[in-house]
Amino acid sequence: MAVTLPQPPSWPRRLPPLGHYLFAIAVVAVTVAIAFLLPWLFPHASRALLFLIGVLVVSAKASLGPSLLASFLSFLAFNFFFTEPVHTLKVTDDGDVTTLIFFLLVSAISGNLASRMRQEMAERQASLERISRLYAFSRRLTSAVGTTEVLDALIDQLALLAGTRIPAIRIFLAEGGQDQRPGPLPREARRHGDDRPLTPAELDAAWAGRSPEPFIRGDWLFLPLTTDRGTFGLVALAAARDPTAVESARNLCDQAAVALDRTRLAADLEQAKLVSETEQLRSALLSSVSHDLRTPLASIIGSATSLLEYGEAFSAADRRDLLATVAAEAKHLDRHIQNLLDMTRLGQGKLQLKRDWVDVHDVIAGALARLAEVLTGLEVRVWIEPEVPLLWVQGTLIEQALVNLLDNAAKFSPAGGRIDIRAERVGGEVCIDLSDQGPGIPPEERERIFDLFYSVSRGDRDHRTGSGLGLAICRGMVAAHGGQVRALPGEGGHGTRMRLSLPLVNPEFMPLPEDRP
Amino acid sequence: MSSPSGETLLIVEDEAQIRKFVRISLEAQGYQVREARLGEEGLASCVASPPQLVVLDLGLPDLDGLDFIRRLRAWSTLPILVLSVRASETEKIQALDAGANDYVTKPFGIGELMARVRVLLRKEERRDAPSARFAFPGLRVDLARREVEVDGLPVSLSRKEFALLSLLVSSQGQVLTHDQILREVWGPSHQEDTHYLRVLVGNLRQKLGDDPMRPRFILTVQGVGYRLAV
Repeated sequence: MAVTLPQPPSWPRRLPPLGHYLFAIAVVAVTVAIAFLLPWLFPHASRALLFLIGVLVVSAKASLGPSLLASFLSFLAFNFFFTEPVHTLKVTDDGDVTTLIFFLLVSAISGNLASRMRQEMAERQASLERISRLYAFSRRLTSAVGTTEVLDALIDQLALLAGTRIPAIRIFLAEGGQDQRPGPLPREARRHGDDRPLTPAELDAAWAGRSPEPFIRGDWLFLPLTTDRGTFGLVALAAARDPTAVESARNLCDQAAVALDRTRLAADLEQAKLVSETEQLRSALLSSVSHDLRTPLASIIGSATSLLEYGEAFSAADRRDLLATVAAEAKHLDRHIQNLLDMTRLGQGKLQLKRDWVDVHDVIAGALARLAEVLTGLEVRVWIEPEVPLLWVQGTLIEQALVNLLDNAAKFSPAGGRIDIRAERVGGEVCIDLSDQGPGIPPEERERIFDLFYSVSRGDRDHRTGSGLGLAICRGMVAAHGGQVRALPGEGGHGTRMRLSLPLVNPEFMPLPEDRP
Repeated sequence: MSSPSGETLLIVEDEAQIRKFVRISLEAQGYQVREARLGEEGLASCVASPPQLVVLDLGLPDLDGLDFIRRLRAWSTLPILVLSVRASETEKIQALDAGANDYVTKPFGIGELMARVRVLLRKEERRDAPSARFAFPGLRVDLARREVEVDGLPVSLSRKEFALLSLLVSSQGQVLTHDQILREVWGPSHQEDTHYLRVLVGNLRQKLGDDPMRPRFILTVQGVGYRLAV
């Protein structure tokens, strides 16, 4: 029962285990027994061969030491039991001396051969394992998307390699990129093993004096994470004395460094792409905004200068008409600027809600009043279910969200069309539905119309509604309350139904009816 | 509707364009108009010869609008109409709490400003002869006898409903903040209980037959308070 595996590779056995010696003794004992029990099978000379087989068996199974022991014991047993004079260790026959020498020679040669064979097998198996582990490791690195995954893979693999021989492993990553010299200390990214100290001063010295080769400082062996583009960090191994282990660790580190380099490049690319998209959005916004500001201004300036220059020649009705244009366009401009301000506030994430109890009647009435001019010529019907409770919201924001939805509905309504507003309680939410009789929205666009980039880049610049910021703002304001705005198909398949839903915060706390206390 | 009494108004506003159109329009309505570009100028003008009404821009270059209100209120009760930008309800409420009587949000139409000015001046007139009886189109309230009539029909109100209505009619169209109403109707310990107020307003509207979608009597000023429609 030769147990040669599993042993960590590259960690040579110093002594064969005690079991092997016991095994040698046992084999000799069995040989003696067989020779005694079956004497008729073995004449004197063949008994020696029987012992020789025993020695060979031991040599094949165990290493040199046990096989030498076996040959020596075999000789003694053979001499004691089977040579004249029996039961003494005296040697009378020269042939017996030859037998002894044979035993020793055979066991030396075969033992050596067998143990070399075994060692080779063990090494091959170990290297096979190492290769498959490395393969798994590099596969993991290849599929790693970010730095985190690379570091996870590396620390796992190092821990596996270290076993009990390397008591502590740390991975340090340079901040912000490679080769930050003499920049800040690299920060610890991963650790494994015990908490033995590695002072910032030691780390600093190691970072400052890093080289492409492994180097030792104090109790720690440092492996750099290096590619052609520089050093990304350091791996510190505590009390790593075994050169094979260090070499393996170094291979791992080299692979990990390449992977880190790759993920950072990918991140840089992503960042560059984001910047260019933001840039695109900004220029789209800018052109849309300047267009939307200028269109009403053109009407205002045109009407005002006409009145200034030729006012006297105009009829009273014409003068009034032009003045009405000035007022209406200026109000439009004001709404548009309000949208821009709202967008900025939402974009900066500085929207701090000032919630209060608000009656849904009031916000709907407020929105209708503000859009009275836009809604002229349209029929607006409002139905509010009696069980709709008070809302815990910032009323002005919800009103603004409704204004934007209504503005949008009015824009797409045919002349004389109807807009239905319906508020009801659905489970833990209050839903406000706005249905119009417009052309409707194709299913694939129902989500995208709320996308700022989409609505702006599409060049939707009908100046009656502004730059297409309205729906994005509406959604932002409602989302700030934890609610949703969705576009649904209109009832009967005609038009659009916009559903604004707000969660009932604190629904169990309902105001008391009648005038308390 | 011109004002025969020729009341004097003071406009404290740093924007010349706004001063100009407000002055032209007010003068066309028969008011005397004085102008001040800076807050200190305005305060000095008030001391020298108190006007009947101050129209005050909150964003003055030399003085915080709230400081202006507090300093004027230290010695005078003359009505103040604030011009504020849309940005924040908080600013308006602060101004009202500091003692301003009402506000108009910039940009505003002249009609809106005129309506507010008329309300404040009318109320100022009545201050000398306080009345217990109010009559508005469709609504009659007798505070002393606790009688309310809508379109000629008597309406019976609960104690709190009546308290709220009398507060609104006495202010005659001037805005009342949530805080002011809560303090008057429920007392100072109920400053946060806006939901009582919402429910009470709902009940009162129902009894007055006031459609909240097209209110005839009680207007909601979102985020600020209520006012009587006049």
